[in-house]
Amino acid sequence: MSERSIFEPELLDRCISCGFCLPACPTYGLTGVEASSPRGRINLMRALQEGTLPDDDPTALEESSFCLGCRACEPVCPAGVRYGELLETWRDHSWKGRRRSPMLRLLLWSTAQTWRVRLMGLRRHARRRLGTGPSLMLGCFERALFPSVSRAAAALVPGASISSHQGCCGALHAHNGERERGRRLAVQLGYDLPGTILTTSGGCAAHLGSVLGGDRVFELSEWLGEHPPAVTPSRPRLRVAVQDSCHLRNGMGIWREARTLLAEVAEVVELPSASACCGAAGTYALLRPRDSRRILDAKLDEIRAADVDYVVTLNPGCLRQLQSGLRRRRLRTRAIHLAEVLS
Amino acid sequence: MTLTTSLRDRLAAVVGPEHVRDDPGTLEAYARDATPLHRGAADAVCFPADTAQVQRVVKIARAERIPLVVRGAGTNLCGATVPQLGGIVLVMTRMARLIELDPGNMSAVVQPGMVTATLAEEAAAHGLLYPPDPGSRTTSTIGGNVGTCAGGLRGLKYGVTRDYVLGCEAVLGTGEVLRYGGKVVKNVAGFDLARLLCGSEGTLAILTELTLRLVPAPLASGVGLAYFSRLKEAGAAVSRVLASGILPATLEFLDSTCLRTVEEFAGIGLRADAGALLVFGQDGTPEVVAADLERIAVACRAEGAIEARVARDETEATALLEARRAALPSLSRLAPLTILEDATVPRSRLAEMVERIEEIAVRHGLLIGTFGHAGDGNLHPTCVVDPAHPGVVERVETAFSEIFDAALELGGTITGEHGVGLAKRAHLESQLGRAQIELLRRIKLAFDPDGILNPGKLAS
Ligand SMILES: Cc1cc2nc3c(=O)[nH]c(=O)nc-3n(C[C@H](O)[C@H](O)[C@H](O)COP(=O)(O)OP(=O)(O)OC[C@H]3O[C@@H](n4cnc5c(N)ncnc54)[C@H](O)[C@@H]3O)c2cc1C
Ligand code: SF4
Ligand code: SF4
Repeated sequence: MSERSIFEPELLDRCISCGFCLPACPTYGLTGVEASSPRGRINLMRALQEGTLPDDDPTALEESSFCLGCRACEPVCPAGVRYGELLETWRDHSWKGRRRSPMLRLLLWSTAQTWRVRLMGLRRHARRRLGTGPSLMLGCFERALFPSVSRAAAALVPGASISSHQGCCGALHAHNGERERGRRLAVQLGYDLPGTILTTSGGCAAHLGSVLGGDRVFELSEWLGEHPPAVTPSRPRLRVAVQDSCHLRNGMGIWREARTLLAEVAEVVELPSASACCGAAGTYALLRPRDSRRILDAKLDEIRAADVDYVVTLNPGCLRQLQSGLRRRRLRTRAIHLAEVLS
Repeated sequence: MTLTTSLRDRLAAVVGPEHVRDDPGTLEAYARDATPLHRGAADAVCFPADTAQVQRVVKIARAERIPLVVRGAGTNLCGATVPQLGGIVLVMTRMARLIELDPGNMSAVVQPGMVTATLAEEAAAHGLLYPPDPGSRTTSTIGGNVGTCAGGLRGLKYGVTRDYVLGCEAVLGTGEVLRYGGKVVKNVAGFDLARLLCGSEGTLAILTELTLRLVPAPLASGVGLAYFSRLKEAGAAVSRVLASGILPATLEFLDSTCLRTVEEFAGIGLRADAGALLVFGQDGTPEVVAADLERIAVACRAEGAIEARVARDETEATALLEARRAALPSLSRLAPLTILEDATVPRSRLAEMVERIEEIAVRHGLLIGTFGHAGDGNLHPTCVVDPAHPGVVERVETAFSEIFDAALELGGTITGEHGVGLAKRAHLESQLGRAQIELLRRIKLAFDPDGILNPGKLAS
């Protein structure tokens, strides 16, 4: 059996197999099977690297897809394993060509070029304008699904520039086995939007920041934390809960900001699983709807118990996921983006 | 050995088809535990839901004469759950229920798959404390803790897992189900089987239920620190503290290599130029905690501490315990392979043992950092190497052999809390002697006449 180099050996070696990540992992929580835990998946990657398992091993393929990519395993890891990077490499290697589902191929295709993304934004989002502040990123699916989020963000950051000539940041591609294209799209976006880039999506912020550098990319709550907007407290006082964005919290360590901002306008209730993935996980909710719902279900129980007015999200994917979950359960709670609550 | 279809079906008939896995990927994930360099290849992994299922799986394994490796969270550091002879890995994590928490009798009845930290939280909710707190407590299971007789940071004052097991239910290698002890704190009817099973590493029986002793939770706790220019002085300080009539809850140390490395990676603000750091902790009433911490600091100064004081605030206290916990992961970042041992000596010989380790490391040209439970004389010499360099793994093995010999010479043991498993099997006889090994084997035969339970581990 020959040692191949799919993964950077230093990234794999860093894992000391201590198992501290097991309790943090939502998919391990569902199955209790080591192979669907971060440590187990790293051992699968090692087996692929060593050639002990073939590339088309069904369990390895299944686990590379069952993983939410939420990176909850990173902050709890004492050895600093960069799991997110390992997962991107894994999918890059294993999901070549036909192993991707038609649905995924369509998603990636539709966001791979700026003109296709612009088509999604034909419904009016935020009005174009040239400001002196950061450039507002409009997102890809967000343009079509939640144009009001960009409008609200534009209102909160009066100096922001808004241009419609912008494509996808490539996070979708990087997380789904097209690392190189994901990087190229981020570079292109950095070119189209010069200077500081502001995004209303935690997932995009983490990806874009990893390519363009964190000092050029700001997520909305991060930006507003440093540039507090003028807000008026809600009346009657609303009760809200936060749903963290996984990559924002686990990848960038940002989660306090949203709570501080919200405390200005509403009563903030902390859900026990606020930091745990809601199951949206980028394209996951579309590709694996059943698993995605199983992940969400426990959270919906908590929301029902907390009986808040709003669950506030920091990512359009989470917003869509929670909206459809809340509707399905017929709960009175509504899901809303941070920008919309504050503006 | 391959799993015949009929055997797979028989296992599935017991636990349900969704709770048996024999696909190569899953088997790969259960090929190892937290121990570096050891791996095996199981034929099947099986997740039982109750004692009756465990019993039926044991009977199948016995009829087929195949190994049965019982596993909790797989965090042990001695290869105790590596299926090196194949067979069935029996994962106990589905049996994780708290059966009863009885504040009046200060006891808890739990299933073995319950996570250690979960039990601690349940106890805390009733104003009680489950003291054994291995570094792995957020992941490790009670069954695994009993299987290895896990210790932790509170060992000096509170003892280790074996001091908290009042009773158990276990399935023997014969398939018989046995109940021993219960909520009583005194019990001399027969041999102390619970203690015998503590540290038996799944070689005698499969634990399916445990009755554990709890204690009242202390009202307050606090920590302090003392830096020394040489480790010898830290060792002397430990003896002085204990001789002065104080029994600290925690007495941990880091040597200079660990101090430098932890500071480099965690940046907690430690004095990286010191020769050793002692972290001490006490719990009890607020007055006792304050007075004891001050007296420990005084004792440390009397032995030449360059700095000894109580933690300024909660933040510093947390950082200190954090520093101790960061020792292993920080060291592990220096090189691809990290090998951790846990030689233990009478606490008065701690400094001497560390010096011997340093000398051995230099002689073999290896980087070994040592940290551990100073109050228990329990050291964790940790060697970091790049296995790609030819001959280096052999050099590490020779060095650790010499470290074990040194521990035995000083009246100690080759392992204080991590266990023998596969990793230290070759060294066991030098500590126990032929006659004791033979006795262990005869005891093993009485529990497991066909040798199906975790064969090839410990003394079997
Ligand atoms: C980072 C780190 C820190 C650690 N810190 C400490 C520490 O401070 N102190 C310490 O003592 N250890 C420590 N350990 C070692 C390890 O966590 C302990 O040995 C722990 O008790 C193992 O629990 P587990 O559930 O993972 O058991 P496993 O590793 O799954 O099994 C351990 C042994 O118990 C047996 N076993 C498991 N379940 C049962 C059962 N139901 N019936 C019978 N036998 C069973 C297994 O066969 C095996 O022999 C540490 C490990 C790591 C990785
Ligand atoms: S916590 Fe980190 S080092 Fe430990 S097993 Fe998980 S990934 Fe590996
Ligand atoms: S990314 Fe999330 S789902 Fe995937 S292994 Fe890590 S914690 Fe588990």
